Amino acid sequence: MGLRWFHFALWGGLIVGMLLLPQVVSNGTLRTMIFANYLAIFAISWDVLSGRTGYVSFGHPFLIGIGAYTTAILTKRFDVPVEISIPVAVLFTMIAGLLVLLPALRIRGSYFALVTLAFMELLYQLVQVIRPDLTGGTRGMSGIQTLTRGAANGYYLSTTLMLTIAVSMWLLMKTRLGTALSAIGMNEESVRGSGLSTTRLKAFAFLTSAMIAGLGGAFYVHYLGSLAPRALFDINFLFTIIVAALLGGTSTIIGPMIGAFFMTFLLEYLRPVLPGAERYFVYGAIALLLYMYQPKGLVELVRRGFKSLNKGRTA
Amino acid sequence: MSTALQVSNLVKRFGGLVATNNLSFSLKEGESLGLIGPNGAGKTTVFSQIMGELRQNSGTIELFGDEISTLSTPQRIRAGVSRTYQIPRPFGEMSVAENIRVGLMPDNIWQMIVSPPDTRRERELALSVGFLKADLGRMPTELAMGDLRKLEMARTMATAPKVMLLDEVFAGLTTGEIAQISDLIQSMRKDGMTFLIVSHDLPALEPLIDRAIAIERGTMIAEGTFSEVMNDKAVQASYLGGV
Repeated sequence: MGLRWFHFALWGGLIVGMLLLPQVVSNGTLRTMIFANYLAIFAISWDVLSGRTGYVSFGHPFLIGIGAYTTAILTKRFDVPVEISIPVAVLFTMIAGLLVLLPALRIRGSYFALVTLAFMELLYQLVQVIRPDLTGGTRGMSGIQTLTRGAANGYYLSTTLMLTIAVSMWLLMKTRLGTALSAIGMNEESVRGSGLSTTRLKAFAFLTSAMIAGLGGAFYVHYLGSLAPRALFDINFLFTIIVAALLGGTSTIIGPMIGAFFMTFLLEYLRPVLPGAERYFVYGAIALLLYMYQPKGLVELVRRGFKSLNKGRTA
Repeated sequence: MSTALQVSNLVKRFGGLVATNNLSFSLKEGESLGLIGPNGAGKTTVFSQIMGELRQNSGTIELFGDEISTLSTPQRIRAGVSRTYQIPRPFGEMSVAENIRVGLMPDNIWQMIVSPPDTRRERELALSVGFLKADLGRMPTELAMGDLRKLEMARTMATAPKVMLLDEVFAGLTTGEIAQISDLIQSMRKDGMTFLIVSHDLPALEPLIDRAIAIERGTMIAEGTFSEVMNDKAVQASYLGGV
């Protein structure tokens, strides 16, 4: 669990590599990477909560949606500047995160997952019927202020945001707090039996996860410039987040990042060959095979690769 | 010596079944008390009530003079009482050192973030229960039952208890491991630790306790020294099947 020099070297290499990328790849690839960055943020958010504590959330689009709708409504309907609307959106999402926490104080497992799924569906219904003049109802909202122009700027912004979140969460999870959250996922009763208040730990995980989801949701909507409720509160969107985290490797921070990039590019490269929904069969099959043979995800394959490289060097 | 733990008129019902029936006993500071009884007598239920994992229907539990019945389990542990479990509950994907680390953590999120793990104390605790330095990185899946019990002991000790409740601490252990755990308990007794011990291994239990109480169906049937309790007619009739 300790920090080593090569951890920082790897992060440094990744940051430099990602920031240099616009010099060598096309705008089309950059646009795909922007989506991968946002998916990575959502997958990290899911991982901080569900990957660590074992409380599987099916309600993350609910949190992302709160962040996205809050800043979209504030900027478009009330002309609030984004410097204010985004922090307010994050705050609102954290309050919503506490709402998601409430059932977790009493239930877990599949029941918790179903309750959080209900939150997502609830918000989908609410945005359509409550004040459609503000939310845009079923049609959603368009003409939302964008923060950047051009693929390269959008890429730099999303990459900076994603890497800032990833490095902060990675450092946070390297502390004893990360160990305690992982311990909840392994045996919550034993954590209580070790004298730790699991309610407080879970509240922290929920709030942190909500903060990231809110931040990601707010920036995402200001990248897209539009908001469609059916796309946001969609079961496919939810599963894309979860599969990215599982495929990459939960409880690792770097895993969900790898998973998000792998999935986004896989789906993108499959598009010319399989333009319809059948693409999802291919990624489903890959996810299934990987999960069967390497449940710890792609990150474990990368780790093994590094280990064998190291062995080869020392031999 | 002041009273470390005072259990008074404890009652726990599960529907029509009375699991703890008006049970009262006390433990002096530094004393070691054996809690014995046949399977299903309600020994673990008493432990669970003391730790707050089960709430009693009536009665009081005092730790060093303070009523702890309203406290949560983590609060009771911070107040100074901790337990081991009949079936060890390790964190399966954490090493021996990390398992002990969880027990050593402060119940304060900020402190968890800013202060590093006390690896020296982790090692001390691991070595004190009989692990070797090389075992610190081992995972629970690689450990035998005896090692899992040692790990459970170490994690419980990490919470810095003043009163320790040991539940079937010898179950599944080899003779050598029993001797090792017994030595550890004896050395902790010398240091003033207060123990409440449940064990079916009576020969191993006898040298570790100052006195014993026997319960049957949640009711106390005998109290005294180990030999007084074992010679009690009611105990022999219920616990030993009348031999």
